[in-house]
Amino acid sequence: MNEAREPAMSAEEMLRLRAELEAANRKLTEAYKLMSLGRLVSGIVHEINTPIGSILSNNEVTTRSLEKLAQFLGEAQQRGTPPPAKALEIVETVRGLAAVDKIACERISGIIRGLKTYARVDEADLRKVDLHEVIRDTLKLSGCEYRRRVAVETDFGDIPLVECYPQLMSQVLLNLLVNAGQAIEGEGKIVVRTRNEDGWVRISISDNGRGIQPEHRARIFAPGFTTKPVGIGTGLGLAITREIVVDTHKGEIGFESEVGAGTTFHVRIPVEHPGSGRP
Amino acid sequence: MTTNTQPAVLIVDDEEMVITSIRAFLRLETDYAIDGFTDPEEAVRRLETHPVDVVVTDYLMPRMNGIQLLARAKELQPEAARVLLTGHADKQSAIQAINEIGLYQYLEKPWDNAQLLLVIRTAIERTQLLRSLSEKIAQLDMAHSNLKDVQSRLLRAFL
Repeated sequence: MNEAREPAMSAEEMLRLRAELEAANRKLTEAYKLMSLGRLVSGIVHEINTPIGSILSNNEVTTRSLEKLAQFLGEAQQRGTPPPAKALEIVETVRGLAAVDKIACERISGIIRGLKTYARVDEADLRKVDLHEVIRDTLKLSGCEYRRRVAVETDFGDIPLVECYPQLMSQVLLNLLVNAGQAIEGEGKIVVRTRNEDGWVRISISDNGRGIQPEHRARIFAPGFTTKPVGIGTGLGLAITREIVVDTHKGEIGFESEVGAGTTFHVRIPVEHPGSGRP
Repeated sequence: MTTNTQPAVLIVDDEEMVITSIRAFLRLETDYAIDGFTDPEEAVRRLETHPVDVVVTDYLMPRMNGIQLLARAKELQPEAARVLLTGHADKQSAIQAINEIGLYQYLEKPWDNAQLLLVIRTAIERTQLLRSLSEKIAQLDMAHSNLKDVQSRLLRAFL
Protein backbone atom coordinates (compact mmCIF):
# COMPACT_ATOMS: atom_id res chain seq x y z
CA MET A 1 0.00 0.00 0.00
CA ASN A 2 2.78 2.36 0.96
CA GLU A 3 4.59 1.61 -2.30
CA ALA A 4 1.40 2.37 -4.25
CA ARG A 5 0.88 5.69 -2.39
CA GLU A 6 4.38 7.05 -2.87
CA PRO A 7 4.28 7.69 -6.63
CA ALA A 8 0.85 9.41 -6.22
CA MET A 9 2.29 11.77 -3.58
CA SER A 10 5.33 12.31 -5.67
CA ALA A 11 3.17 13.25 -8.65
CA GLU A 12 1.27 15.73 -6.47
CA GLU A 13 4.54 17.11 -5.27
CA MET A 14 5.71 17.42 -8.86
CA LEU A 15 2.55 19.26 -9.82
CA ARG A 16 2.98 21.60 -6.89
CA LEU A 17 6.62 22.21 -7.77
CA ARG A 18 5.71 22.78 -11.39
CA ALA A 19 3.04 25.30 -10.38
CA GLU A 20 5.55 27.02 -8.12
CA LEU A 21 8.10 27.10 -10.93
CA GLU A 22 5.56 28.57 -13.32
CA ALA A 23 4.57 31.18 -10.75
CA ALA A 24 8.23 32.05 -10.16
CA ASN A 25 8.74 32.27 -13.92
CA ARG A 26 5.80 34.63 -14.26
CA LYS A 27 7.18 36.77 -11.44
CA LEU A 28 10.59 36.83 -13.11
CA THR A 29 9.04 37.89 -16.42
CA GLU A 30 7.06 40.58 -14.61
CA ALA A 31 10.16 41.80 -12.73
CA TYR A 32 12.17 41.86 -15.96
CA LYS A 33 9.40 43.80 -17.64
CA LEU A 34 9.40 46.46 -14.93
CA MET A 35 13.18 46.59 -15.05
CA SER A 36 13.24 47.15 -18.82
CA LEU A 37 10.67 49.89 -18.36
CA GLY A 38 12.87 51.43 -15.65
CA ARG A 39 15.75 51.54 -18.12
CA LEU A 40 13.57 53.43 -20.59
CA VAL A 41 12.38 55.97 -18.04
CA SER A 42 15.10 58.57 -18.58
CA GLY A 43 14.44 58.47 -22.34
CA ILE A 44 10.69 58.71 -21.76
CA VAL A 45 11.16 61.67 -19.40
CA HIS A 46 13.24 63.42 -22.04
CA GLU A 47 10.70 62.78 -24.75
CA ILE A 48 7.84 64.06 -22.60
CA ASN A 49 9.70 67.09 -21.20
CA THR A 50 10.18 68.63 -24.63
CA PRO A 51 6.48 68.82 -25.58
CA ILE A 52 5.53 69.75 -22.00
CA GLY A 53 8.06 72.61 -22.11
CA SER A 54 6.44 73.85 -25.32
CA ILE A 55 2.89 73.55 -24.02
CA LEU A 56 3.70 75.41 -20.78
CA SER A 57 5.49 78.18 -22.64
CA ASN A 58 2.73 78.43 -25.26
CA ASN A 59 0.05 78.64 -22.59
CA GLU A 60 1.80 81.60 -21.00
CA VAL A 61 2.38 83.31 -24.35
CA THR A 62 -1.23 82.70 -25.41
CA THR A 63 -2.58 84.22 -22.19
CA ARG A 64 -0.38 87.31 -22.56
CA SER A 65 -1.19 87.56 -26.27
CA LEU A 66 -4.94 87.46 -25.61
CA GLU A 67 -4.56 90.24 -23.03
CA LYS A 68 -2.72 92.35 -25.61
CA LEU A 69 -5.29 91.50 -28.26
CA ALA A 70 -8.14 92.55 -25.97
CA GLN A 71 -6.32 95.82 -25.31
CA PHE A 72 -5.81 96.51 -29.06
CA LEU A 73 -9.42 95.67 -29.89
CA GLY A 74 -10.75 97.79 -27.00
CA GLU A 75 -8.67 100.79 -28.07
CA ALA A 76 -9.69 100.40 -31.70
CA GLN A 77 -13.36 100.20 -30.71
CA GLN A 78 -13.06 103.36 -28.61
CA ARG A 79 -11.40 105.20 -31.48
CA GLY A 80 -13.82 103.76 -34.00
CA THR A 81 -10.92 102.55 -36.17
CA PRO A 82 -10.10 99.08 -37.46
CA PRO A 83 -7.83 96.99 -35.20
CA PRO A 84 -4.09 97.58 -35.82
CA ALA A 85 -2.00 95.21 -37.94
CA LYS A 86 -0.29 94.06 -34.74
CA ALA A 87 -3.63 92.50 -33.65
CA LEU A 88 -3.70 90.25 -36.71
CA GLU A 89 -0.08 89.30 -36.06
CA ILE A 90 -1.05 88.19 -32.54
CA VAL A 91 -3.93 86.10 -33.92
CA GLU A 92 -1.48 84.36 -36.29
CA THR A 93 0.99 83.71 -33.46
CA VAL A 94 -1.69 82.19 -31.25
CA ARG A 95 -2.95 80.07 -34.16
CA GLY A 96 0.60 78.77 -34.67
CA LEU A 97 0.98 77.96 -30.99
CA ALA A 98 -2.34 76.08 -30.95
CA ALA A 99 -1.03 73.92 -33.81
CA VAL A 100 2.19 73.25 -31.86
CA ASP A 101 0.17 72.34 -28.76
CA LYS A 102 -1.81 69.80 -30.76
CA ILE A 103 1.37 68.13 -32.01
CA ALA A 104 2.88 68.24 -28.50
CA CYS A 105 -0.22 66.65 -26.93
CA GLU A 106 -0.31 63.96 -29.62
CA ARG A 107 3.34 63.21 -28.90
CA ILE A 108 2.72 62.82 -25.17
CA SER A 109 -0.43 60.75 -25.67
CA GLY A 110 1.46 58.47 -28.11
CA ILE A 111 4.08 57.72 -25.46
CA ILE A 112 1.42 57.19 -22.79
CA ARG A 113 -0.43 54.84 -25.15
CA GLY A 114 2.79 52.87 -25.62
CA LEU A 115 3.20 52.64 -21.87
CA LYS A 116 -0.39 51.48 -21.46
CA THR A 117 -0.04 48.76 -24.09
CA TYR A 118 3.13 47.63 -22.38
CA ALA A 119 1.89 47.72 -18.82
CA ARG A 120 -1.88 47.28 -18.73
CA VAL A 121 -3.22 44.27 -16.92
CA ASP A 122 -6.56 44.06 -18.73
CA GLU A 123 -4.67 42.97 -21.86
CA ALA A 124 -3.04 40.03 -20.14
CA ASP A 125 -5.54 37.65 -21.77
CA LEU A 126 -5.30 35.82 -25.05
CA ARG A 127 -7.20 37.74 -27.72
CA LYS A 128 -7.17 38.65 -31.41
CA VAL A 129 -4.92 41.62 -31.91
CA ASP A 130 -3.82 43.96 -34.67
CA LEU A 131 -0.05 43.44 -34.32
CA HIS A 132 0.65 46.59 -36.33
CA GLU A 133 -0.99 48.60 -33.57
CA VAL A 134 1.15 46.83 -30.95
CA ILE A 135 4.28 47.50 -33.05
CA ARG A 136 3.42 51.19 -33.50
CA ASP A 137 2.78 51.62 -29.76
CA THR A 138 6.00 49.82 -28.85
CA LEU A 139 7.98 51.93 -31.33
CA LYS A 140 6.80 55.03 -29.44
CA LEU A 141 8.48 53.63 -26.31
CA SER A 142 11.66 52.30 -27.90
CA GLY A 143 11.96 55.57 -29.82
CA CYS A 144 12.38 57.37 -26.49
CA GLU A 145 15.64 55.50 -26.12
CA TYR A 146 17.26 56.23 -29.47
CA ARG A 147 14.96 58.45 -31.55
CA ARG A 148 17.57 61.06 -32.32
CA ARG A 149 20.25 58.71 -33.51
CA VAL A 150 18.32 55.84 -35.08
CA ALA A 151 15.85 56.13 -37.93
CA VAL A 152 13.01 53.61 -37.82
CA GLU A 153 11.23 52.37 -40.94
CA THR A 154 8.17 50.16 -41.05
CA ASP A 155 7.32 47.88 -43.93
CA PHE A 156 3.96 46.38 -43.00
CA GLY A 157 2.47 43.55 -45.01
CA ASP A 158 -1.22 42.63 -45.19
CA ILE A 159 -1.52 40.53 -42.03
CA PRO A 160 -4.62 39.20 -40.28
CA LEU A 161 -5.52 39.73 -36.62
CA VAL A 162 -3.36 37.41 -34.53
CA GLU A 163 -4.53 35.52 -31.45
CA CYS A 164 -1.90 36.37 -28.83
CA TYR A 165 -1.12 37.98 -25.48
CA PRO A 166 -0.65 41.59 -26.62
CA GLN A 167 1.14 42.67 -23.49
CA LEU A 168 3.68 39.86 -23.83
CA MET A 169 4.10 40.53 -27.55
CA SER A 170 4.77 44.16 -26.70
CA GLN A 171 7.55 42.98 -24.41
CA VAL A 172 9.03 40.79 -27.16
CA LEU A 173 9.04 43.74 -29.54
CA LEU A 174 10.47 46.14 -26.98
CA ASN A 175 13.29 43.72 -26.12
CA LEU A 176 14.21 43.23 -29.77
CA LEU A 177 13.91 46.95 -30.62
CA VAL A 178 16.01 48.07 -27.65
CA ASN A 179 18.63 45.42 -28.50
CA ALA A 180 18.65 46.60 -32.12
CA GLY A 181 19.16 50.20 -30.97
CA GLN A 182 21.96 49.20 -28.63
CA ALA A 183 23.68 47.26 -31.43
CA ILE A 184 23.97 50.49 -33.41
CA GLU A 185 26.90 52.70 -32.46
CA GLY A 186 26.18 56.30 -33.40
CA GLU A 187 23.58 56.74 -36.10
CA GLY A 188 21.82 53.92 -37.89
CA LYS A 189 18.59 52.39 -39.07
CA ILE A 190 16.06 49.85 -37.84
CA VAL A 191 13.48 48.30 -40.16
CA VAL A 192 10.39 46.50 -38.85
CA ARG A 193 8.69 44.23 -41.40
CA THR A 194 5.56 42.13 -41.12
CA ARG A 195 4.49 39.38 -43.50
CA ASN A 196 1.55 37.00 -43.77
CA GLU A 197 2.87 33.43 -44.15
CA ASP A 198 -0.08 31.06 -44.55
CA GLY A 199 -1.48 30.70 -41.03
CA TRP A 200 1.51 32.44 -39.50
CA VAL A 201 2.64 36.03 -39.16
CA ARG A 202 6.31 36.92 -39.38
CA ILE A 203 7.74 40.03 -37.72
CA SER A 204 11.32 40.87 -38.70
CA ILE A 205 13.39 43.50 -36.93
CA SER A 206 16.59 44.48 -38.75
CA ASP A 207 19.34 46.78 -37.61
CA ASN A 208 22.51 47.91 -39.35
CA GLY A 209 24.54 47.66 -36.16
CA ARG A 210 27.64 45.77 -35.20
CA GLY A 211 26.20 42.25 -35.65
CA ILE A 212 26.56 39.22 -33.37
CA GLN A 213 29.98 37.60 -33.08
CA PRO A 214 29.90 33.98 -34.42
CA GLU A 215 31.14 32.56 -31.09
CA HIS A 216 28.17 34.17 -29.25
CA ARG A 217 25.43 33.01 -31.60
CA ALA A 218 24.75 29.62 -30.04
CA ARG A 219 24.26 31.12 -26.58
CA ILE A 220 22.28 34.30 -27.13
CA PHE A 221 18.95 32.80 -25.99
CA ALA A 222 20.50 31.21 -22.88
CA PRO A 223 19.43 32.84 -19.59
CA GLY A 224 22.23 34.89 -18.08
CA PHE A 225 24.22 35.26 -21.28
CA THR A 226 25.06 38.85 -22.20
CA THR A 227 27.76 40.73 -24.05
CA LYS A 228 26.56 44.09 -22.77
CA PRO A 229 28.39 45.99 -20.04
CA VAL A 230 27.36 45.54 -16.39
CA GLY A 231 24.33 47.71 -15.67
CA ILE A 232 23.10 47.57 -19.29
CA GLY A 233 22.51 43.88 -19.97
CA THR A 234 20.99 41.29 -17.68
CA GLY A 235 21.17 38.30 -19.97
CA LEU A 236 17.44 37.81 -19.49
CA GLY A 237 15.99 39.79 -22.41
CA LEU A 238 16.39 37.24 -25.18
CA ALA A 239 15.74 34.27 -22.86
CA ILE A 240 12.38 35.80 -21.88
CA THR A 241 11.71 36.79 -25.48
CA ARG A 242 12.29 33.20 -26.61
CA GLU A 243 10.07 31.87 -23.84
CA ILE A 244 7.20 34.21 -24.76
CA VAL A 245 7.46 33.40 -28.47
CA VAL A 246 8.16 29.67 -28.33
CA ASP A 247 6.58 28.44 -25.09
CA THR A 248 3.68 30.85 -24.67
CA HIS A 249 2.71 31.46 -28.29
CA LYS A 250 3.98 28.20 -29.84
CA GLY A 251 5.89 30.31 -32.33
CA GLU A 252 9.44 30.46 -33.63
CA ILE A 253 12.31 32.86 -33.19
CA GLY A 254 15.58 33.04 -35.09
CA PHE A 255 18.10 35.50 -36.43
CA GLU A 256 20.58 36.22 -39.20
CA SER A 257 23.63 38.29 -38.46
CA GLU A 258 26.72 39.59 -40.16
CA VAL A 259 29.48 41.15 -38.09
CA GLY A 260 29.79 44.83 -38.99
CA ALA A 261 26.67 44.80 -41.17
CA GLY A 262 23.77 44.12 -38.80
CA THR A 263 21.29 41.63 -37.46
CA THR A 264 17.73 40.63 -38.29
CA PHE A 265 15.55 38.83 -35.76
CA HIS A 266 12.56 36.92 -37.12
CA VAL A 267 9.59 36.12 -34.91
CA ARG A 268 6.87 33.82 -36.31
CA ILE A 269 3.55 33.49 -34.50
CA PRO A 270 0.61 31.27 -35.50
CA VAL A 271 -2.47 33.31 -36.38
CA GLU A 272 -4.62 30.99 -34.22
CA HIS A 273 -3.13 30.17 -30.83
CA PRO A 274 -2.94 26.36 -30.46
CA GLY A 275 -3.97 26.43 -26.78
CA SER A 276 -6.61 28.48 -25.05
CA GLY A 277 -5.41 28.88 -21.45
CA ARG A 278 -2.54 30.97 -20.22
CA PRO A 279 0.55 28.79 -19.78
CA MET B 1 31.03 93.51 -34.48
CA THR B 2 29.31 96.57 -33.08
CA THR B 3 27.53 96.99 -29.79
CA ASN B 4 24.12 98.49 -29.05
CA THR B 5 22.58 96.97 -32.19
CA GLN B 6 19.49 94.75 -32.08
CA PRO B 7 20.48 91.78 -29.91
CA ALA B 8 20.66 88.52 -31.85
CA VAL B 9 19.59 85.18 -30.38
CA LEU B 10 20.26 81.83 -32.04
CA ILE B 11 18.05 78.92 -30.98
CA VAL B 12 18.97 75.38 -32.02
CA ASP B 13 16.74 72.39 -31.28
CA ASP B 14 15.87 69.44 -33.50
CA GLU B 15 12.29 69.86 -32.30
CA GLU B 16 10.59 72.55 -34.35
CA MET B 17 8.02 72.96 -31.57
CA VAL B 18 10.65 74.21 -29.12
CA ILE B 19 11.91 76.84 -31.57
CA THR B 20 8.33 77.98 -32.35
CA SER B 21 7.47 78.31 -28.65
CA ILE B 22 10.62 80.19 -27.63
CA ARG B 23 10.47 82.43 -30.70
CA ALA B 24 6.82 83.34 -29.97
CA PHE B 25 7.70 84.11 -26.36
CA LEU B 26 10.75 86.25 -27.18
CA ARG B 27 8.84 88.13 -29.90
CA LEU B 28 6.14 88.97 -27.40
CA GLU B 29 8.51 90.11 -24.68
CA THR B 30 11.52 91.54 -26.53
CA ASP B 31 12.71 93.14 -29.75
CA TYR B 32 15.53 90.64 -30.26
CA ALA B 33 16.38 89.27 -33.69
CA ILE B 34 15.68 85.54 -33.37
CA ASP B 35 17.02 82.82 -35.63
CA GLY B 36 16.02 79.19 -35.14
CA PHE B 37 17.53 76.03 -36.64
CA THR B 38 16.54 72.39 -36.31
CA ASP B 39 19.80 71.32 -37.97
CA PRO B 40 22.90 72.12 -35.87
CA GLU B 41 25.13 72.10 -38.97
CA GLU B 42 23.01 74.86 -40.50
CA ALA B 43 23.32 76.77 -37.23
CA VAL B 44 27.13 76.55 -37.49
CA ARG B 45 26.96 77.95 -41.03
CA ARG B 46 24.88 80.83 -39.67
CA LEU B 47 27.47 81.46 -36.95
CA GLU B 48 30.18 81.65 -39.62
CA THR B 49 28.50 84.63 -41.25
CA HIS B 50 26.31 86.40 -38.69
CA PRO B 51 27.27 87.76 -35.26
CA VAL B 52 25.01 86.58 -32.43
CA ASP B 53 24.88 87.54 -28.78
CA VAL B 54 23.66 84.26 -27.35
CA VAL B 55 23.32 80.68 -28.58
CA VAL B 56 20.64 78.54 -26.90
CA THR B 57 20.87 74.90 -27.89
CA ASP B 58 19.40 71.49 -27.12
CA TYR B 59 21.82 68.72 -26.21
CA LEU B 60 20.61 65.56 -27.99
CA MET B 61 20.44 66.24 -31.72
CA PRO B 62 21.29 64.19 -34.80
CA ARG B 63 24.78 64.52 -36.32
CA MET B 64 26.03 67.06 -33.78
CA ASN B 65 25.19 67.34 -30.10
CA GLY B 66 24.73 70.61 -28.21
CA ILE B 67 28.20 70.56 -26.69
CA GLN B 68 29.85 70.03 -30.09
CA LEU B 69 27.78 72.88 -31.49
CA LEU B 70 28.73 75.20 -28.62
CA ALA B 71 32.40 74.27 -29.05
CA ARG B 72 32.14 75.44 -32.70
CA ALA B 73 30.31 78.58 -31.54
CA LYS B 74 33.18 79.27 -29.12
CA GLU B 75 35.72 79.01 -31.95
CA LEU B 76 33.70 81.18 -34.31
CA GLN B 77 32.35 83.79 -31.89
CA PRO B 78 34.08 83.49 -28.52
CA GLU B 79 32.20 86.44 -26.97
CA ALA B 80 28.73 84.98 -27.72
CA ALA B 81 27.21 83.47 -24.55
CA ARG B 82 26.54 79.72 -24.68
CA VAL B 83 23.41 78.24 -23.10
CA LEU B 84 22.42 74.56 -23.04
CA LEU B 85 18.66 73.90 -22.80
CA THR B 86 18.18 70.18 -22.47
CA GLY B 87 15.56 67.62 -21.61
CA HIS B 88 18.35 65.13 -21.09
CA ALA B 89 18.98 65.64 -17.37
CA ASP B 90 22.47 64.26 -17.42
CA LYS B 91 24.98 65.60 -14.92
CA GLN B 92 27.87 64.30 -17.01
CA SER B 93 26.91 66.40 -20.05
CA ALA B 94 26.48 69.46 -17.80
CA ILE B 95 29.94 69.03 -16.26
CA GLN B 96 31.48 68.43 -19.69
CA ALA B 97 29.77 71.55 -21.05
CA ILE B 98 30.89 73.75 -18.17
CA ASN B 99 34.48 72.51 -18.22
CA GLU B 100 35.11 72.23 -21.93
CA ILE B 101 33.21 75.09 -23.49
CA GLY B 102 32.75 77.64 -20.72
CA LEU B 103 28.99 77.31 -20.60
CA TYR B 104 27.12 80.44 -19.51
CA GLN B 105 24.02 78.60 -18.25
CA TYR B 106 22.61 75.06 -18.13
CA LEU B 107 18.80 74.96 -18.29
CA GLU B 108 16.50 71.96 -18.21
CA LYS B 109 13.26 71.25 -20.05
CA PRO B 110 10.49 71.92 -19.32
CA TRP B 111 11.85 75.43 -19.08
CA ASP B 112 10.45 78.39 -17.22
CA ASN B 113 9.91 81.37 -19.54
CA ALA B 114 10.76 83.99 -16.90
CA GLN B 115 14.02 82.21 -16.07
CA LEU B 116 14.86 81.72 -19.75
CA LEU B 117 14.30 85.40 -20.44
CA LEU B 118 16.45 86.43 -17.48
CA VAL B 119 19.26 84.17 -18.66
CA ILE B 120 19.06 85.42 -22.25
CA ARG B 121 18.86 89.07 -21.15
CA THR B 122 21.91 88.87 -18.86
CA ALA B 123 23.78 86.79 -21.46
CA ILE B 124 23.20 89.51 -24.06
CA GLU B 125 24.37 92.22 -21.63
CA ARG B 126 27.50 90.21 -20.91
CA THR B 127 28.24 89.63 -24.61
CA GLN B 128 27.73 93.28 -25.47
CA LEU B 129 29.95 94.36 -22.55
CA LEU B 130 32.64 91.93 -23.70
CA ARG B 131 32.42 93.26 -27.25
CA SER B 132 32.49 96.84 -26.03
CA LEU B 133 35.52 96.00 -23.90
CA SER B 134 37.25 94.45 -26.94
CA GLU B 135 36.54 97.61 -28.94
CA LYS B 136 37.91 99.81 -26.15
CA ILE B 137 41.04 97.67 -25.91
CA ALA B 138 41.48 97.91 -29.68
CA GLN B 139 41.04 101.71 -29.48
CA LEU B 140 43.58 101.89 -26.64
CA ASP B 141 46.01 99.77 -28.66
CA MET B 142 45.54 102.10 -31.59
CA ALA B 143 46.02 105.20 -29.40
CA HIS B 144 49.08 103.62 -27.86
CA SER B 145 50.67 102.89 -31.20
CA ASN B 146 49.79 106.43 -32.38
CA LEU B 147 51.48 107.83 -29.27
CA LYS B 148 54.55 105.71 -29.88
CA ASP B 149 54.62 106.96 -33.44
CA VAL B 150 54.37 110.61 -32.28
CA GLN B 151 57.02 109.98 -29.65
CA SER B 152 59.46 108.50 -32.15
CA ARG B 153 58.80 111.39 -34.56
CA LEU B 154 59.42 113.89 -31.73
CA LEU B 155 62.64 112.13 -30.81
CA ARG B 156 63.77 112.19 -34.42
CA ALA B 157 62.92 115.92 -34.65
CA PHE B 158 64.95 116.83 -31.57
CA LEU B 159 67.91 114.54 -31.99
